[in-house]
Amino acid sequence: MEINLTEANGVAILSLKGRLDLSSGSLLKDQVKKLFEDEKTNIHLDLAEVEFINSSGLGGLVSLMKETRLRKGRLTLSNLASYVQEIFDITQLSHIFEIFVSQEEALNSYQTVNAG
Amino acid sequence: MSTAIDQIAELLTRLQSSDFYEREEAVRSLGSYDADEAVAGLVMALEDPDMGIRELAADLLAQMKGDTTAQLLVSFLGHADIGTRNLAAEILVKIGGEAVPALLSEVDNEDYDIRKFIVDVLGMIKDPAAVDQLCRKLWDENANVAGSAAEALGEIGSREAVPALIGAFENVEDAQLQAAEALGKIGDPSTLEKLYEFMETDDPMVKFAVLEAIGNIGQKDSVPRLMSIVQSDDRTIAETALMAVINVSLQNNDRIDCDLPLDQFSGFLFDGIRNRNRKITEFTLSRSTHWYGADVLSSLLDVLESVDEDDRQRISDILVDAGPTAATTMLDKFATISVVGKLTVLEAIRQFIDDEIAERLLSFADDSEPDVRQKIAHLLGISGYTGAIPILKKLAGDAVGHVRSTAYAALGWLADENEINFLFNGLEDRYSDVRQAAMGALIVVGTPRVVSRFTKDLHHEELERQRLAVSALGMIGDADVVGPLLGAVNHPDASVRKLAVVSLGRIKSVTDMQPLVLALSDESPAVRKAAVTALIEVRGPMAVNDIRALLDDVDVWVRFHTINAIGELGIENHAQYILPHLDDDQDIIRIAAAKALAKMDCREAIPRLRQLGGDKNDDVVQAAQAAMSELEGTV
Repeated sequence: MEINLTEANGVAILSLKGRLDLSSGSLLKDQVKKLFEDEKTNIHLDLAEVEFINSSGLGGLVSLMKETRLRKGRLTLSNLASYVQEIFDITQLSHIFEIFVSQEEALNSYQTVNAG
Repeated sequence: MSTAIDQIAELLTRLQSSDFYEREEAVRSLGSYDADEAVAGLVMALEDPDMGIRELAADLLAQMKGDTTAQLLVSFLGHADIGTRNLAAEILVKIGGEAVPALLSEVDNEDYDIRKFIVDVLGMIKDPAAVDQLCRKLWDENANVAGSAAEALGEIGSREAVPALIGAFENVEDAQLQAAEALGKIGDPSTLEKLYEFMETDDPMVKFAVLEAIGNIGQKDSVPRLMSIVQSDDRTIAETALMAVINVSLQNNDRIDCDLPLDQFSGFLFDGIRNRNRKITEFTLSRSTHWYGADVLSSLLDVLESVDEDDRQRISDILVDAGPTAATTMLDKFATISVVGKLTVLEAIRQFIDDEIAERLLSFADDSEPDVRQKIAHLLGISGYTGAIPILKKLAGDAVGHVRSTAYAALGWLADENEINFLFNGLEDRYSDVRQAAMGALIVVGTPRVVSRFTKDLHHEELERQRLAVSALGMIGDADVVGPLLGAVNHPDASVRKLAVVSLGRIKSVTDMQPLVLALSDESPAVRKAAVTALIEVRGPMAVNDIRALLDDVDVWVRFHTINAIGELGIENHAQYILPHLDDDQDIIRIAAAKALAKMDCREAIPRLRQLGGDKNDDVVQAAQAAMSELEGTV
């Protein structure tokens, strides 16, 4: 899996490409851990190019969410492919993650929260 | 030929008829004449025994307007029947400014009831032309007339009336209250100094009116004066002064600089919210964002039921802003608040739930309201607090299906290997959404034991469980599931076989291709189509050698799907397999072939595509033309 890191308005944006499974989930966790070490706790994952996610990938995301909550940060997701969205719906993870249709919409939500 | 006067005279006679319909028709006809006699007839009809006819006459008179109409109606303001009097007043108000001269001509009528009525109507018409005369009526010998004149001047809102109103306040004791109210409505800041003087009155009712007037004028400068009254020992006076401050504050976008002793007035303010006083609600909620005392939070929770959706959201935002420290107050009060309050608190807590808050929530998991239990289950799942697992297991046995469903989903976010047996029990639930939630939970847990259990379920006695198992294995999607899914390609049920093939295509890491290749010969067209897609997913272009046999499948949709799948690869060498299908009997196949060949950049197809331009089917013609322009554009 490829992970591309950018940043906008204090939000770390990780654009993922490929398959989110055990090994790539672990790669993602390492990347986010580094962000936490830099005290960056507002994290957005753009899943536009994630074609497949399995149980281990889901577990990785759940544990990332818990870690982010512990650090009083936010973890948002966007651009879920239809199959990925289907798995999120069946596992009801769509109820615990903040999921946006687009990256732009997700980043706007950070600004709204900060402004509020 | 009769004249209009004759016709009106005839209609006036018919107004006396005992027949309702004749009288109604006469009234309607009178409305079409532009003559004083017709107006007189309609005014007479205001005394008709039937209410419908009276109202019809009133409507027609209001449309006719005119001085004669107004004059005649004014004479009715002294009518013995109160209903007729009120009807005349209503028409005069509808006539508006045109009725003012007629009203003013009788403003000194010897009957004080008529004078008061006229003054009241002038106030409702709100025409500044009446201001001078109304100012004079502030000195009417009758106190009611004077008071009504002050009220009317307030309604008109003209600053010209200010000196007269101040004079009346100072000299006409019975008009003080109305004069103060009128000054407030006119809203001229130059009157404030006088109003500050008037605040010293001993009459509490007048004092209320003065304070309200100061508030209505809305000048920030008046806040210090009002603040001195806010400290009054007299509670009612103090609350009226506070209300005036609120008015000033709202008119200045809450930009007043004063330290209000809000804690002393929390009862008044929150009662105001409860009574749906818009100004108090607006002020209190805007102040509450910086007013986080435990009592305030507690009061906010109490009024949640009394406010509309927007204000409920504002309160929820305030609770969120108050942060985790407010959770203690919210949870202390949780058991005593309304269901709406509980759901709002839970939504607020969602933002900062941690192990400690989750631990406290456990004691409310037996709430009598299912929506509350469901929300608690959800929050316990979000919290990540594994100490909540026993309570979630209890909620997974709740009498209400949606509570069970949420509890199973939450268990999936928290549970581990130890809870697998429990989660599998959820697959036996009588409701499909609960069964699906349990399946979702098991997918998240997704350990080898889960895979093993689902593999056994592929041969469960119930077909639904077999289908659920193959779906779950596909979504678990780890290497462990490939073997069971390859086995399921030979399952007796076609839908299970299809799901297994689709999942294998998604998982991709399949080394044994044989089952997928065999699936190309499956008796079910749906399985054969799935096998085409899966083989391309797993093997890429190398799969074409296997799947091209299905270009001649007996099922037209399998052929269609295979052409599309090969076309999507976009490899020109494969065009040789597709070209013959431009001559297929089926329109849909010729269309698919044209599109696929364009994607493959097969210019060799152009002559045959040109021939298809004369095809009997318009869609084929369009597809051929589109393919040609794509191919010719690449030359």
